[in-house]
Amino acid sequence: MKTKVENINRNIYDIKNKDNYEFKMEKGLSKKIVEEISKQKGDPDWMREIRLKALETYEKLELPTWGPDLSALKMDNIATYVKPKTNLNSSWEDVPEDIKNTFDKLGIPEAEKKSLAGVGAQYDSEVVYHSMKKELLEQGVIYTDMETAVREYPEIVKEHFMKCVPINDHKFVALHAAVWSGGSFVYVPKGVKLDIPLQSYFRLNSPESGQFEHTLIIVDEGASLHFIEGCSAPKYNKVNLHAGCVELYVKDGAYLRYSTIENWSKNMMNLNTKKAIVGKDAQIDWVTGSFGSRVSMLYPMSILNGDNAKTEYTGITFAGKGQNLDTGFKVIHNGKNTSALVNSKSISKDGGSCTYRALVRVNDRAKGAKCSVSCESLMLDDISRSDTIPVNDIRTDEVTFSHEAKIGKISDKEIFYLMSRGLSEEDAKAMIVRGFAYPISKELPVEYAVEMNNLINLELEGSIG
Amino acid sequence: MSIKVNETPVRTSRNFSINNIKLDFDIPDQIGSFENIECEAFNESKTRSLATDAKSYIAKDLDFKSPISENVKTKKITYGNGKLLEENVFKKANSKIRIETEKEEIKIKYEFDDENLELVNQIEIIGNKDANIIIEYESRTENPCFHNGIIKTIAKKDCKLNIAIVNLLNDKSVNFEAIENELYENSKVKYTIIDLGGKTSISNYYSNILGEKADNDLKTIYLGKDNEIKDLNYIAELRGKNSKIDIDVQGALDGNCKKNFKGTIDFKKGCKKAKGNENEFCLLLSDKAKSIALPMLLCTEDDVEGNHSTASGKVDAKSLFYIMSRGLSYKEAVKLIVKSNFNKIIERIKDNEVKEEILKEINRRLN
Amino acid sequence: MNKLLEIKDLHVNVGEKEILKGLNLTINKGETHVIMGPNGAGKSTLANVVLNNPEYKKTKGTVEFEGKDISNLATNKIAKKGIFMSFQSPQEIPGISTMNFLKVAKNKVTGKPVRIFEFKKEVQEYMEELNVNSKLIDRNLNVGFSGGEKKKNEILQMLVLNPKLAILDETDSGLDVDAVRTVSKGINLYKSNENSVLIITHNMKILSELKVDYVHVLVDGKIVKKGTAELVKDIEKNGFTKYKQIDK
Repeated sequence: MKTKVENINRNIYDIKNKDNYEFKMEKGLSKKIVEEISKQKGDPDWMREIRLKALETYEKLELPTWGPDLSALKMDNIATYVKPKTNLNSSWEDVPEDIKNTFDKLGIPEAEKKSLAGVGAQYDSEVVYHSMKKELLEQGVIYTDMETAVREYPEIVKEHFMKCVPINDHKFVALHAAVWSGGSFVYVPKGVKLDIPLQSYFRLNSPESGQFEHTLIIVDEGASLHFIEGCSAPKYNKVNLHAGCVELYVKDGAYLRYSTIENWSKNMMNLNTKKAIVGKDAQIDWVTGSFGSRVSMLYPMSILNGDNAKTEYTGITFAGKGQNLDTGFKVIHNGKNTSALVNSKSISKDGGSCTYRALVRVNDRAKGAKCSVSCESLMLDDISRSDTIPVNDIRTDEVTFSHEAKIGKISDKEIFYLMSRGLSEEDAKAMIVRGFAYPISKELPVEYAVEMNNLINLELEGSIG
Repeated sequence: MSIKVNETPVRTSRNFSINNIKLDFDIPDQIGSFENIECEAFNESKTRSLATDAKSYIAKDLDFKSPISENVKTKKITYGNGKLLEENVFKKANSKIRIETEKEEIKIKYEFDDENLELVNQIEIIGNKDANIIIEYESRTENPCFHNGIIKTIAKKDCKLNIAIVNLLNDKSVNFEAIENELYENSKVKYTIIDLGGKTSISNYYSNILGEKADNDLKTIYLGKDNEIKDLNYIAELRGKNSKIDIDVQGALDGNCKKNFKGTIDFKKGCKKAKGNENEFCLLLSDKAKSIALPMLLCTEDDVEGNHSTASGKVDAKSLFYIMSRGLSYKEAVKLIVKSNFNKIIERIKDNEVKEEILKEINRRLN
Repeated sequence: MNKLLEIKDLHVNVGEKEILKGLNLTINKGETHVIMGPNGAGKSTLANVVLNNPEYKKTKGTVEFEGKDISNLATNKIAKKGIFMSFQSPQEIPGISTMNFLKVAKNKVTGKPVRIFEFKKEVQEYMEELNVNSKLIDRNLNVGFSGGEKKKNEILQMLVLNPKLAILDETDSGLDVDAVRTVSKGINLYKSNENSVLIITHNMKILSELKVDYVHVLVDGKIVKKGTAELVKDIEKNGFTKYKQIDK
C-alpha cells in the first residue's frame, strides 16, 4: 500500500490531460512516416535527407546486446509524432488552458519569474512556449526551439547537428535523427556570461507515443551558461518512448553546466543520448538526477579535445519497484592536462535495479591527464539490485587515474546513533539517504533540490507505508 | 583462425571492446606427449620423509608412463576460456593430475623443452586437508611453447589450501589457463598467480564461494612488455553467508603491451554479511602501453560490503628521485619500485627456489 | 526514593560471547555515578544495552527506567524517555549539517516544534561554553571532525537535548588535558538535582573536577565493588588487579 502522502504528491506529475492533439502520427515507423513528419515540419531538403539516411541506419543497426531488456518496446505501437493543438507561444497567456495548467502545477512559469533567464516548454512533440529575458537578446544570446533554429540559423545548425553525436552511434540515435521534433537551441556569443540559468522542460502527455527532442547548445569562446532540463510524464499502462539527443559544444575557455532532473513516469523507456565536445581551457559540468522511467539507458559523455579541458559529473540514480535504471558517465581524454572528476551515487529499493556503466578513456595524446572516479551504491533491501560496470581504458603513462566503488546498505551503527538522538528508524534511514544524496542535491538550483528531496521522501515513504 | 576468449559474465557496450578478447591464433591440432613433469615435496618437514612421501601419494593417481589420471573429470566448467579451448583440453589433454590433499606440500613443475612444446593439461585438486601446492610452467627452450590448461579446485569444509600458479614461459609462448574453484563451509583458499611469461597470456579465474564463512583470497602479479597481451578475467560469486573474497592484482606494463583486467565480484542472493574487495594497480612504464580495467561489482543482496578500486599511473617521481639519490640508475630504481609492489605477493610462495626463479625472471623482463 | 534507572541481573551477548554476566545497577535522580574497569570488562556494552543497540542481545535480566521496563523499546523511544548516550566513537553522517541535526533531534526528543531563533541562540551559548569552533555547526555531522571535536559535539548534544540521564561512554578517552576539562565543564553545566549522570571511564582525570556520588568497579561483566568517590583513589594507586581477583 502506498501512503496518502505519496498519492497527493505524485499527482503533480500524474495529471493526465485528455490526449487532445491536432495531429497524431499513425503508430510505427516507415519511410512514409518519416517523410510525413518532414513534411509536417516543413524541413528544408538537407534536413529531410538527414532523416531518411538516419532511417536507413536505424534499420541496419541492432539493438544493444547488453544492458536492460528492451523487449517491451515495440516500435509498431509508438506514435513518433504528436502535435498539440497550439503553435509556439511567447506568452503563457496564449498557451491553451489545459497545457498551461500542467506547466503551472509543475511550477515552470513561477520559476521563470523567480530564478530563470529563459524558459522553453515542450508538450508532446512540439515546443509550446519559449521566452527569454530581453537583456540577453540584446547581448546576442539565442534561445529558441529547434525548428526555428533550422529555419533561421541553418548554417550553424548544419555545421553542428548530429556531428557531436554521430547518427550511427547506436540504434536509438538513428531513430532520433529520423523522427526528431522539438527541443531547444542555444547560442551564447563569445565572452557572454549568463549568471542565471536557462531551462527547458519536456512533458510527454500522449499515451503510446515517443518524444524525440533535440537540444543543441553552443557556448562560444569565453562564454558561460547554466542550462537546466526537466522532464516528466503521467503514468500510462502502455509503453512510452523517449529518445532525445543533446549535443553540446563548449568552445575554448567556455563554461557550461548542464543540470537534469529526470522524472519520467514508470512506463517510459528512456533511451537518451548526451554528448559534449569541450575545447581548450573549457569546462562542462553535468549534474543529473534520475528518478523516473521503467528503463533508462543514459550515459552522458564529455569529449575533452582541448588542452586543459575539464569535466565534472555528479549524478544520482534512484530505482524503485519495476525500474531498471542503467546510467553512468563516459569521458574521453584527448587534450593534454585534461581532467575529470566523477561522483556517482545510486539507491536501489523495492526490487529496483541500478547500474553504473561507464567509460574512462585516456588516449595517448592526453599527457598529464587526471581522472578520479567515485561510485557509491546503497541497497535498501535484499530484493533489489545494484551493479557497477566501469571500463577504464588508459593508453598513456603520464596519467593520474583512480577509480573507487562501494556497495552496501545503510550502516546499523549510523542508524543506532541517530535513533539514540530520538529519530525513529524510518526517520534515521531517510536522513541518511538524504545525506547520501546531498552532494548531488546541493549542486542543483534550490527548487530542484527541494523537488529532489521530496522525490526521495516520496520514494522512501512508499516503501515504509 | 580468429577465436574469442575470456567472455565477461556481464556484457557491456561493444564499443568498449572488453566483453571478450579476439585472438588470431590456431589451436594446435596435433598435441604430442609431455614428459617433463616433476613432482616433489618442497618443504623440509621433520615428520615426513618428503620426496618419497609426496610421490607415493600422488602416485595413487599419477603414473608417469601413462600420465593421464582416469579419475579427472571432464565436466564442463562455468566460465573458462571458451568452448574451443575447453574442448581442446577435454579431448587432447596430455597430462591429467588429480590430487587429494592430505597435509602435503607439493610442487608440480612442467618443464617445456624442444621435445615437449605443447602442454594441454588438467589438474584437479580435492582439498580434504590443508595443503600447499605450487604449479609451475617453465620454458627451457627458445622455441614457442603452447599451454592450455584447466585447474579445478574443490575446498571441502574447514580445508585450507594455498595454491600458487607460476607462469615462466618464454617470450614467444602462448598461455591459456582456466581456473575454477568451489569453496565449502569455512574453507579458505589462498591463490597466488604469477603471470609473467608468454607473448599472449590469457587467464580465467572463477571462484564459486558457496559455504558459510568460506574465504577466498587471490593475489596476482603480471608483467608485460613489447607487444605482449595479457588478459585476466577474474570472477567471484559469493553465495555463502559471511563469505569473503579478496582480489589484489599488481602489474606493470612496458613497451606496447596491452593488458585487460576484468574483475567481477558478484554478491548472489543469500550471501548475507559477505565481504568483497577488489584492488588493481597498474604501473605504466611506457607511454605506449595500454591498461584497460573493468572492475565490476554486481549485487542482489543488501547486507554486504563491496569495494573496488583501480588505479594506473607512472612510477612515482618522488620515489624515483629518492632511490636515485642513493646511487641507483633510473632503470634500477624502476626495477626496485616494481619489485617492491610485487614483493608482498611473491612472499606468499613458500618455496625459496621458485621465489628466486620469479625474481630472476622479473629482472630479465625489466631489462 | 527517586529511582531513575534500575538494572537487575543483566546478561548480554555480543555475537556468541557473553559480555555482561549478571549486572546490577541502580541510579537515582540527582546522582553522579562512575563505572570503572579494565579493557574488555563490558563497560561500553552496558551503555549500548541501555539504549537497546540491536547488536547487543539481552539473554536475561531487566532494564527499568522510571519504574518501567525499557528493555525492548526501540532506541529512539528510549531517547524520548530521557536517556542520552555520548558515543565512544560517534558516527559520521555525511550530507546533514550539525545544526540541522540538532534541530531535528530536539524536535524528536521533545515532540515539540523548535523555535529556530531561540534555539540557535541556545546552541551558540553552549558552544561558547564548550569552546567549540563556531564553524563546526555548519559542517556535516561529525564528518572530518577531530577526535576532540567529536566528543565536544557529543557533550553539546547532551546539553541541547537535556536528558534525565546521560550516559557518557569514555567521552574523555583520547582527549588532551584541556579538552577533558571542557568535557567536565559541560557535565557540570548540565548536572542538576533533577538529572543524573553515568560516567564510563578508565581514566581518573575527568573525575577530579566532578562531584561523584558512587563508583562501581566492573570486571568481567559484573559489578564487583561499589563505593564512594574514595574508591577512585584506591584504584588510581593499586589498579584493577585486586578486583579481578575478587571475581575469581
